[in-house]
Amino acid sequence: MSSTRFRLAGATFALLLVAVAGCTTGEGVDVDGADGASAGGVLNAAIGGEPDQLDPHKTSAYYSFQVLENVYDTLVEPDANLEMKPSLATEWTTSDDQLTWTFTLREGVRFSDGSPLTSEDVVYSYTRIIDEKLNNAYRFGTVKSVTAPDPSTVVVTLSAPTPNLLANLGGFKGVAIVQKSNVESGAVTTKPVGSGPFAIGSYNSGDSIRLVRNDNYWGDKPKLDGVTFTFVKDPTVALQNLRGGEVQWTDNLPPQQVPALLDGDDLTVRSVPSSDYWYLALNQARKPYDDVNVRRAVAFALDREAITKAAKFGLATVNQTAIPQNSAYYYEYAPYRHDPNQARQLLDQAGVSDLTMDLMVTSEYPETVTSAQVIASQLGAIGVNVKIRTLDFAQWLDEQGKGNFDSFMLGWLGNVDPDEFYYAQHHSGGTFNFHKYANPAVDQLLDRARTETDQAARKQQYEQAAKQIVDDASYIYLYNPDVAQGWSKQVSGYEVRTDRAIRFRDVALAR
Amino acid sequence: MARFVLRRLLQSCVVLLGVTLVVFLLLQLVPGDPVRVALGTRFDPQTYEALRARAGLDQPLVAQYFDYLGRALTGDLGVSFRSGRPVTSIVLERLPATLSLAVTAVVFATLIAFPLGILSAIRSGSFVDHAARVFSQFGVSVPDFWMGIMGILLFAGVLGWLPPSGYVALTEDPAGWASHVALPAATVGLVTASILTRFIRSSMLEVLSEDYVRTAEAKGLRTRVVVLRHVLRNALIPVVTVVAVQLASLLGGVIVIEVLFAWPGIGRLTYDSVQARDYPVLQGAILLVAALFLLVNLLVDILYARLDPRITVR
Repeated sequence: MSSTRFRLAGATFALLLVAVAGCTTGEGVDVDGADGASAGGVLNAAIGGEPDQLDPHKTSAYYSFQVLENVYDTLVEPDANLEMKPSLATEWTTSDDQLTWTFTLREGVRFSDGSPLTSEDVVYSYTRIIDEKLNNAYRFGTVKSVTAPDPSTVVVTLSAPTPNLLANLGGFKGVAIVQKSNVESGAVTTKPVGSGPFAIGSYNSGDSIRLVRNDNYWGDKPKLDGVTFTFVKDPTVALQNLRGGEVQWTDNLPPQQVPALLDGDDLTVRSVPSSDYWYLALNQARKPYDDVNVRRAVAFALDREAITKAAKFGLATVNQTAIPQNSAYYYEYAPYRHDPNQARQLLDQAGVSDLTMDLMVTSEYPETVTSAQVIASQLGAIGVNVKIRTLDFAQWLDEQGKGNFDSFMLGWLGNVDPDEFYYAQHHSGGTFNFHKYANPAVDQLLDRARTETDQAARKQQYEQAAKQIVDDASYIYLYNPDVAQGWSKQVSGYEVRTDRAIRFRDVALAR
Repeated sequence: MARFVLRRLLQSCVVLLGVTLVVFLLLQLVPGDPVRVALGTRFDPQTYEALRARAGLDQPLVAQYFDYLGRALTGDLGVSFRSGRPVTSIVLERLPATLSLAVTAVVFATLIAFPLGILSAIRSGSFVDHAARVFSQFGVSVPDFWMGIMGILLFAGVLGWLPPSGYVALTEDPAGWASHVALPAATVGLVTASILTRFIRSSMLEVLSEDYVRTAEAKGLRTRVVVLRHVLRNALIPVVTVVAVQLASLLGGVIVIEVLFAWPGIGRLTYDSVQARDYPVLQGAILLVAALFLLVNLLVDILYARLDPRITVR
């Protein structure tokens, strides 16, 4: 065969190679000392997906917040028990009418680029969220104004007492203090500048984000030189990376392997109860689910133990109310034992037979798909024929928004204050009340608790509301899942948090 | 030749214009609201309306399309709903990863498929032939993600020879790139090799039964010469088409494999964009893939003329 014939093929191939060689991914500017000999080392962490963007005020993705938790600060932040503790603000006072909160900022705080962080930056950040109606604007519903009388003082003026203001301003990094010039240049989406323990070193789209230690950090200097987040969607592959030493930390573990990993000793795997909850909601705008007896029948028909076993391999705690035992607002109440006979009687009372129920779940959260199969068989036992509809999340949200469902299963994640989840989901005017629950008594309790400044009275109001919500089976709460994360034996100083915030600032890496 | 290329490039522009329209319309039919996905579950209605307006989704469809097209003609493919970054750079920065995976996989595949397909054809019915057929049946019927996971467990887990996933740019560290590309390229390459082996085998068998092959043998040429000069050359025309189609489809990104191996290519970008209903990025990615497909086809047509003197391009 003549070689000239294949010259063209060779040229095509060479051209492709040149094209490959000519481009590199990302706009990464490598500024870290990953290859240097400094003591701290770089921790590689595998997370399950790529952040959509890194502007803390515009993203709603958990993957983004896994990274941003280490880059940004808030005025206050939740400790291990989810109580708000000083962060950028060292102290605060509240006026007698509870309408004016005055925060004193920490001295000498700087952004990672060295510029000072002052009360003007706090005003800018909050005003941006409110004026541009960004994702977390709902947290500032009662905020009338935010002002900076001097560089270290921030005054927040409210239209009504807001007992959970601290949780709203510090619950997570979605309300972080950003730098105005960073936002206005547009760099915030890929190279955000915060005041947290680490700063963004480089971002390689689709592949990894490198954080480097922020030497301007106001707190104890992080021991690590940096943290590299890689995006590994498949849990088996993430675990293989951890085992092989390519990464030293991951939260993307195959759930079915977690029980065995907890007992093994080549890795450290910890599982703690989270403040998340998963539930079943029945559409009360549709018959016969407007009848409380039908909803209660479903609640009695469910065997929560069997559901958690199938969906979470036992890594969850069954619960008939929203929040778990370790929360300050936990309310012990479990009126629904697994009782198919009772369930059938309730259906008879409601005059319902031959019921076919549509159950909408999403492949985004595989536990809803697995749970749905168990729920379907349990409801089948009381004569309810469940038709499971598995959608991708975009379509799922769309159907939910339009009210096109008989029932759905979903979770509510990272819960800190009850106002946030009870009001949105069970107040007749709540933004997440897609199942159209309306009970004037509950509305009144939630309205009152929202502005109740006496903590004991507020807790009591939420308990009353919780009882009514469970009795009405507005949501049929199922379980609180555990958070399972694993890391190599080289890693020390890491704690799994119930709100799933990933903090590497106190972590050290033995080498 | 130059006129041929010019005419084909013009035709390609028309095709690409059609692609933009079809893709735009199809995306409108896909259920799911990008604004809801971007906001997640906690937001109030004003936030929803504000983001919808910022993303330009409150405009009429016709306006949205012509606005898009007008900017696309100047090379501006809009900005991503998800990140607010320019689509052109998002798509282009994923190209090297996909190109290097696709090219390596096709090279790997041809290195396996050519010897195997040729041997299988000239020793039809032999042990080699049966083995080759079992191999290609395996490759086309076993799901690639399963092969990928098995590869990871074996080569990264048990043997510890290769990293389980990840990407290193060829320009940064060629050795690192090679160790990272090996597993995904071998997985994709095995599937492609199976398809090619079957095709080369049948194409060779067809030519082997031609009269001129018998003549060549009858005049005493060595088998080697007959196979390489007479059979392979003539069998190659359809094979080149298949190789090109395989390459072109791999350039579109191998979604499952890219997701599995955490490979930052076009396929993974497409997957993430579909999940988020990030229409501008999807449109950009599909446009790029269509353009690559047209380019590969053009090159194949030119290659035909070089392979077979009877074919001329005009």
